[in-house]
Amino acid sequence: MLTVLIADDELPARERLRRLLAEIGCVGVAGEAATGREALELAARCSPDVVLLDVRMPGMDGIETARHLSVLQEPPAVIFTTAFDQYAVNAFETRAVGYLLKPVHKDKLAAALAQANRLTRPQLQYLAAAAGEPRRTHIAARRREEVRLIPTAEILYFQAEQKYTTVRHLQGEDLIEESLRTLAEDLGNGFVRIHRNALVNVRHLERIERAPDGRYSVRLRGSAAALPVSRRLAGELLERFKI
Amino acid sequence: MPARAHKRFVLSDQPKKPVATAGGTFRGDAASFYLPDFCDSRAAFAIVLIAELTAIVLSIARQSAAVGFWGELARAALFLLWVGLVSAALLCWLRPRLARLGVGPGSVAALALLTLVVAAISACVSLLGHSRLVASAGTGAYFPRQLWPFVARNTVIGFVISAVALRYFYVTYQWRRNIEMRAAARVHALQARIRPHFLFNSMNTIASLTRSDPALAEQAVQDLADLFRASLSDRHQTITLAEELSIARTYQRVEQLRLGERLRVHWDVRGLPPDARVPGLMLQPLLENAIYHGIEPRPQGGTVTVTGERTAQLISLVVRNPLGERQAEREGNRVALANIRERLALLYGARALVKAGRFDEEYIVTLRFPYIASAPPAGGTRPAHAAPGSPEQ
Repeated sequence: MLTVLIADDELPARERLRRLLAEIGCVGVAGEAATGREALELAARCSPDVVLLDVRMPGMDGIETARHLSVLQEPPAVIFTTAFDQYAVNAFETRAVGYLLKPVHKDKLAAALAQANRLTRPQLQYLAAAAGEPRRTHIAARRREEVRLIPTAEILYFQAEQKYTTVRHLQGEDLIEESLRTLAEDLGNGFVRIHRNALVNVRHLERIERAPDGRYSVRLRGSAAALPVSRRLAGELLERFKI
Repeated sequence: MPARAHKRFVLSDQPKKPVATAGGTFRGDAASFYLPDFCDSRAAFAIVLIAELTAIVLSIARQSAAVGFWGELARAALFLLWVGLVSAALLCWLRPRLARLGVGPGSVAALALLTLVVAAISACVSLLGHSRLVASAGTGAYFPRQLWPFVARNTVIGFVISAVALRYFYVTYQWRRNIEMRAAARVHALQARIRPHFLFNSMNTIASLTRSDPALAEQAVQDLADLFRASLSDRHQTITLAEELSIARTYQRVEQLRLGERLRVHWDVRGLPPDARVPGLMLQPLLENAIYHGIEPRPQGGTVTVTGERTAQLISLVVRNPLGERQAEREGNRVALANIRERLALLYGARALVKAGRFDEEYIVTLRFPYIASAPPAGGTRPAHAAPGSPEQ
């Protein structure tokens, strides 16, 4: 049986989806979430097949929630629901992402469930870019059965390893699968690339040091390590702070 | 921004013109100056036409025995064409400079200029009439005999006619400007209609309620119908404050179904006179913005406060909401505020004030306008939705 998670901040909207799913039959409701964060927790715990995800939710919107869902071991398929968000609907159309307009028709819901797909990384990136502001507020890291959300403000730096990227933040360290390039694009101006393998949060930058041999390194508040700055990126870094 | 907007109203309120200029400025730029652009070929043609017609009228009115009708027409037409075209050329050239002076000094300068042109051309004509060239050609009868009386008479006529013409241009300009403003207000009113977001979400709520609570669904449909009836009605009709408060409360009722406990609205409007005249849908958009930007983005919801009071002959309405998590540029909000500002200005002129901004953790919109009681409809009783305010004070 197909299991579905309903995520919508409005109670009547959740109730209606639940009822439609019951009428369609052969579908189990894995749970209901009123926020993106709740949806993420529930999805990590119950691994639903499909998440019906409202685009406009308080706190973390549907598009950002979808990004974090894709980090899960077994990412669910996502069908977005929206009452009226023209930019989002345009983006869904362009990238053939499943979506439903509220009030949802029962037969359209059934059809969408039958062909629901996981979102691919290019789709997710496109959606995030189409949404423009607001940028990502969290980075999701998977830890066995749960997803840990790290607020971007608490991140010190990202360091690219062989296959993974290490996120060093105020609460410790986590591994994620995203590349520095996409992270840099998503996070925008608040982060600066100082090395081929390092992306640093400007907010936590403490000082830039120059060694006798002319090489630069940076120190971050809350971290003892000095991160080397590559020769190629040193100029940009100094230029940014008008040194 | 609000203070400046208010100042604009004052600046733009010319003494002779109680017309409201909603958000319009009277900077001294050429585009907003009342004199038409005489560099335009159509304007030049119009001047030629007017000169010829005036010449015909003058020739018929005072046919002199000396030169006959055609002679009279020829000399009057020639004289008026010179005056008209020289004036047009000068105004075309000097218009930007006159515009920079502003309406008052610009008008005085234009009047002086036109009078001077008439005097100068009259003097030239007189001098030419006494020249040897004219005398030898034997056409002296076409020219005025005495120099000074001719120049003086023409100067006075030129002064009066120029003053009347300038006044005509000014009034026409104001009239056209007012029409344009009304058109703009109408367009903005269309843009500021209730959000589609609200319509579809409400439909979704109703679709859910039809099964779980049909009675509530029925009420929601009625409320929604009332709201859209108000939204689709003529925006230039004024309604009473009591009616406007009732619309806002209906709106809150529909949103309440959808948002549940997350939405709390605190009303404190007992001090407001229910019969005050206001433009329709003035408060509802403010409440809608407060909910859309201040309550919906917050997982824990929040409280919107609507306070109203009347001091002397002024009514003030304040809508406050907590700031949303991300307070980006509020596009829809600015459109709604501009629209309300325009409509209040059309109704009350410079006496209306709309202020908006964030203070501490809140977004606050303040409306202030004079209390003008609307005449009760003939024989009808108005529904009193709001508690009656004290009539004296």
